[in-house]
Amino acid sequence: MLTMLAKLLKALNSESAPWQVALAFSMSLIVALTPMFSLHNLLVLLLAFVIRVNLSAFFLGVAAFSLLAMVIDPLSVQLGASLLAQPGLQDFWTELYQSDFWRMTAFNHTLVLGGLLLSLLAFIPVFVLSRLLIVMYRQRLLNWISRLKVVQVLKAGKFYNLYKSLAE
Amino acid sequence: MKQWIRWSGLTAFVVVAALLAVFFLFAAGPLMKWGIEYFGSRAAGAKVDAENVSLSFSPLGVRVDNLTVADAEKPMQNLLEFERADAQLAIGPLLLGKAIIEDLRVDGLKFSTARSVDGTLEQDAKEPVTEDNIENDKSQDSLLSGVELPTAEEILAREQLHTETAGKAFREAYAKHRGSVESTMESIPDGSALSRYENEIKALTSGRFESIEDFKARKAKLDELKKQFRNDKQAIAEARKAISEARSELALRLKELKAAPAWDMDSIRSKYQLTAEGAANLSALLFGSEAGEWAEQALYWYDKVQPYLDSGEEASEDVAYVREGSFIHFPTDNPWPDFLLRNAQLSASTVRGDLMIFVENVTHQPDVLGKPAHVVVNGAGLEDIEDLTLDAVLDHRKKPGTDTLTLSVKDWTVRSMKLGVAGAELQKAVAQVQGLAVVTEGNVNAQADMQFSQTEFSTQGKTTLARELGSALKGIRKFDVRAGARGKLTSPALEFGSDLDRQISAAFSQRMKARQNELEQKLSLAINQRLNEYLGGSAQDLQRLNEMDGSLSDKLDQLSSLGETKLEDYQAQKEREAKEKADRKEAELKAKRDAEKAELERKKKEAADKAREKLKNLF
Repeated sequence: MLTMLAKLLKALNSESAPWQVALAFSMSLIVALTPMFSLHNLLVLLLAFVIRVNLSAFFLGVAAFSLLAMVIDPLSVQLGASLLAQPGLQDFWTELYQSDFWRMTAFNHTLVLGGLLLSLLAFIPVFVLSRLLIVMYRQRLLNWISRLKVVQVLKAGKFYNLYKSLAE
Repeated sequence: MKQWIRWSGLTAFVVVAALLAVFFLFAAGPLMKWGIEYFGSRAAGAKVDAENVSLSFSPLGVRVDNLTVADAEKPMQNLLEFERADAQLAIGPLLLGKAIIEDLRVDGLKFSTARSVDGTLEQDAKEPVTEDNIENDKSQDSLLSGVELPTAEEILAREQLHTETAGKAFREAYAKHRGSVESTMESIPDGSALSRYENEIKALTSGRFESIEDFKARKAKLDELKKQFRNDKQAIAEARKAISEARSELALRLKELKAAPAWDMDSIRSKYQLTAEGAANLSALLFGSEAGEWAEQALYWYDKVQPYLDSGEEASEDVAYVREGSFIHFPTDNPWPDFLLRNAQLSASTVRGDLMIFVENVTHQPDVLGKPAHVVVNGAGLEDIEDLTLDAVLDHRKKPGTDTLTLSVKDWTVRSMKLGVAGAELQKAVAQVQGLAVVTEGNVNAQADMQFSQTEFSTQGKTTLARELGSALKGIRKFDVRAGARGKLTSPALEFGSDLDRQISAAFSQRMKARQNELEQKLSLAINQRLNEYLGGSAQDLQRLNEMDGSLSDKLDQLSSLGETKLEDYQAQKEREAKEKADRKEAELKAKRDAEKAELERKKKEAADKAREKLKNLF
């Protein structure tokens, strides 16, 4: 965990481009808000490995957003259930249900549908916001944080040595 | 584009996926073997062993070799075993955690085979299951235990007699009240104490007071005695209350105890069908034990399967919005329940020959599948049976579920079936059987019709009955039997009817009546013996209580009478004495006056007599 945090700090501080970290956060949101073992999450995982997003940010994002999911899941379930029960969408769902592929995606699962929809809706805002925050962090907060006494104390500790060894 | 793609990541993903595939290729078999043995053992309550479990990928399937399921009740016997089972699984649903077995083939299925090692689970191996235990259990649980006519000793050992219960209740009540009555009786004055009281009262109340001090002393003593009387009366009242309570409860218990033997006899008579109607039912004796075994076997398997047939989920629209979410199902020709055995074909070997078993649409979510489970058992060319077809439709799509079973047996050659009376035996017959059973909400309604033809009977007994029965049976070439079961599946009311009954009931019922009378006499004797054990001395005990109560009543009267004794005061004594003196004087004066008056009268009479004498002399 310390290693991962150190890697994230390293990425935040300068190594990775802001879009790489921001995209990792956005992708992790999908995995966190939907059941882990789903077909679409396999695709997201493949993309996370193949696209040059920051993997530390991705996995930490999954962990952090999973905490958020504990609060959001009931809402996702309600959203998914109401969509699947929409009379106007019944033909559409029924048609999808006839296909083995679509059924393998578990689209008819209330949490999968609701969580996926919420995470896709939040994908762009999370990407833009996190990218903005990373840029602001690097421009304004990094120097200020480095000057803090508490940070200097931390720099003398094990965590900072680990961070440095990774940075070198 | 190059800076967007991480080739090393792609390679890592492929490598991880390949490693996972390899892991499943090698580990899935042992893991599934462990799963089958572990969960199978828990479900069966006895050891489940599989020699080998392997996984194939094209098509995706599982193969199980030499699986044995031990019988939980007979550890040295297998409930079933098979040589090989091949299951084909659907990949798509499996990715969603749904086990859909498209096709299952089981070869070499055998039932009730011998085991070389004990099949008891280690945690259950505390009490060894012996043949005796099994027999005892069977004798207690058998559906048809009422059909056999057990001995009086067996019945008395098996039944919880009302006489015993009432006898124990009487003894307990007696022991309880005896203590309380005895403790209260200890403080009651006895005969000598009462005599002493009387003497003391007499001494106090007789003789004159010599002085005012004498009067006061006597009065104080009398008051003390009266206080003692009050205490004694209180003790007597308590004792009488205790006796009254004891008497009423013991009388009630005794009444119950005396009525218990009759109640026991009625209960046993109805339970063991010792009525003439039940005893004369030859059909029940004919097929009772075998029908019972078949029914128990069928019930055993039904109990095992039935819980898995009910849908564990409510209808999709009633699903609560829980955090985990749920699947919403839509109309389709190819539904995916969590578990489905779409098709299975089992070839089974039994002692009577080979059976083919076809199974369709077995799932615990029949409402999702939309089809009932269907089981067909076919036996052609079996030993002694030309054709056997058993068709079961287990429809649990809606609650309550309905299970329908149809049975057809063609040309069943029946051999050596004992009639259970006078050594009579149905040596040979050809039977046709048609049966229908419907089970709904744990209630069964079943009916079976059997036609026996080409019958040959024999009797071995030397008694008159055996001869009569033999001659009656000789003329019978065919007969019908109708069997029915209605009521709770676990304890249905069984009915057997046959025209054979009518044909030989006269000869048979006579014998059964004799047996019934003999059994009833033995039962009655044994129950009455037990009654007498409890009754011994109870009448005397009650009589003693009555006598005690009468004696206490006398004592209470005596004490009341003594307690009413009063001591007059000193002034009154003086006044009484003065009055007595005056009365005495007046009496003396009156006596004196009377004497003087009498003397005067006498003198008057003498004077008159003299005058009359003188007058006579003049003439």
